[in-house]
Amino acid sequence: MHGFCRNGLIMKKYLSFILIVFWIVSFSFSAVGCDLNDPDRDVKRLFPVSTGYKTLYLSLNKDNLSKIEQRLGDRFTGLYETVDVPYTLYEIYQNKSLIGYIHGVNQKGHYGGLQVFLALNKEGVIEGFYYQKLTSKEASIFRSQAFAAQFTGLSLNEFYDFDIKTLRGNAAVLAIKNLATTAEDDFRSTLRAVKKNLILVDEFALSNKHLPYYK
Amino acid sequence: MKIYQIAYKNLLRKKTRTLLTILGISLSAWVLVSLLGFNKGYEKALSRDIDQLGFQVLLTAKGCPYEAATLMLKGGTGLKYMDESILNQVEKYSDVKKLTAMIMHGVFDPNKGEAGGITAYLGIDPKTYPNLKQYVKFRQGTWFTGATLNEAVMGFEAAELEQREVGDHILVPGTQLELKVVGILKRTGSQDDGTIFVPKQFIQQNFNLQGKITGIGIQVKQNANLTSFEDQLYKLPDVQVVSLTQVKETIMNLVATARVLVLSIAIIAVLIAMLGVVNTILMSVFERFQEIGILKSMGAMPIDIFKMIWFETVFLCGVGGIIGNLLALGLSIVTDILIRQILPYSPSGRLVIIDGALALTTLLTIVGIGVISGLYPAWKAASIRPLESIRSEGA
Repeated sequence: MHGFCRNGLIMKKYLSFILIVFWIVSFSFSAVGCDLNDPDRDVKRLFPVSTGYKTLYLSLNKDNLSKIEQRLGDRFTGLYETVDVPYTLYEIYQNKSLIGYIHGVNQKGHYGGLQVFLALNKEGVIEGFYYQKLTSKEASIFRSQAFAAQFTGLSLNEFYDFDIKTLRGNAAVLAIKNLATTAEDDFRSTLRAVKKNLILVDEFALSNKHLPYYK
Repeated sequence: MKIYQIAYKNLLRKKTRTLLTILGISLSAWVLVSLLGFNKGYEKALSRDIDQLGFQVLLTAKGCPYEAATLMLKGGTGLKYMDESILNQVEKYSDVKKLTAMIMHGVFDPNKGEAGGITAYLGIDPKTYPNLKQYVKFRQGTWFTGATLNEAVMGFEAAELEQREVGDHILVPGTQLELKVVGILKRTGSQDDGTIFVPKQFIQQNFNLQGKITGIGIQVKQNANLTSFEDQLYKLPDVQVVSLTQVKETIMNLVATARVLVLSIAIIAVLIAMLGVVNTILMSVFERFQEIGILKSMGAMPIDIFKMIWFETVFLCGVGGIIGNLLALGLSIVTDILIRQILPYSPSGRLVIIDGALALTTLLTIVGIGVISGLYPAWKAASIRPLESIRSEGA
């Protein structure tokens, strides 16, 4: 009996060890895609009048990847900006009528990956902005309502006329203030993510209706 | 017309029945080959994971690791620590080849997942740890430069997920502490892929854990007696010894128990399939009672009838076995995913390995079953007397 108990304890100990060493590490780095964490809840929060949504999984090909890079004014680099990356677009419905879209993109930030989501009306105008993932010393400022509200009402009409490298161009985009002045990198990354997000939605859902504004 | 052609045409006459019988055999073969492939793959994957840890014995602070894990996941403060001075005592043992001190620390990250999560850092000794991990290769950079304590080496997946490259920074959640990424490992297929390594002094100094460690990894000499070495280690105060060889054996024992159960189910499935084949062929024999009698009256010998029925059975089993093998090969990734969801712990890498030898063994087993299953129906058919069968028509 004693031997059995001892064996049981040893077994428990070894399994515990394995769980700690292997499981914690895997727990810490579960896969990150750019889907909404909780679509039912998030859709209702971003579009309170919605009655349903449809999830579309889309991707680019080599041809439109290079076109999108041109429109963005920057190359796609890294794990989340390859031709193989799938994008998740949520079409939002009120009864049977399409009322808008939700789309998120991954973006390299100063301290790690950002996930920037936009809620757009069916014309592609921003109605909501939020970070699903953000690591920053100034995370609370970036996540504030005051910062997010600056994006409302903008669309590719304005962002096509804005250079994400020099931060010059359209006055409406220039009016977006970096409320976290010590985190300039993350601010720039956010603007790049928003422009990329809008271009992708235009490509995937709006038949590139904003393309005439691209100069 | 050759006897084998007649047998083949007989099978085609009842297509649905033939297909269903083949399907049953295929499923049995699929289960069997997948299970044997799992047996092979799991042990290989587990051995590789443990070998890649770089040490055979781990010394940790006495306590309940389960409790520690729970506390750590809740807030990162529940780990059991031991005094770093134990390192000097362990170093003196003659069986020790190399050793290294480690300290694990978890920090709550409110931005991780839905309700936040733990980001774990493994504090290592930059002088000794790389010696135990000689298999590790770098995709970018190298181990710590020593210029500052605020340096990090990231596993392949950790770097990919956070989009980090050498020269980038990471922020320790909940603090203002920054780490500069100095190295990114190549993919190892082990838990290292998701780990963030930092100098152990970084954790000790910044989290008020001076002189504390959570584990010592020990690589023993080739001819060391592990049992007596562990007994020696148990004499140290407030430590517990985890032999990774025993960890492997313990897990394999648990998996073996589960495997016996599943193997039993597989054997039952094979037996059911075997009875199904006997039943199908017997039905076929009874349906063709008159035909067989006519064949005999036309000059067919009992051995010809025996071969014809036997061939039908072996053919069904052979085709079923081939399809089962193809299913197992084609769906091995799906099987892998399913097994990972069932098992509480799965090592990295492929869990189901199906090679040519395994596929051939399974196929021969299934065909062997067919050979045995076909004996009785074939004998029954060969024993049919022509006159009786012809009379049965009038009856």
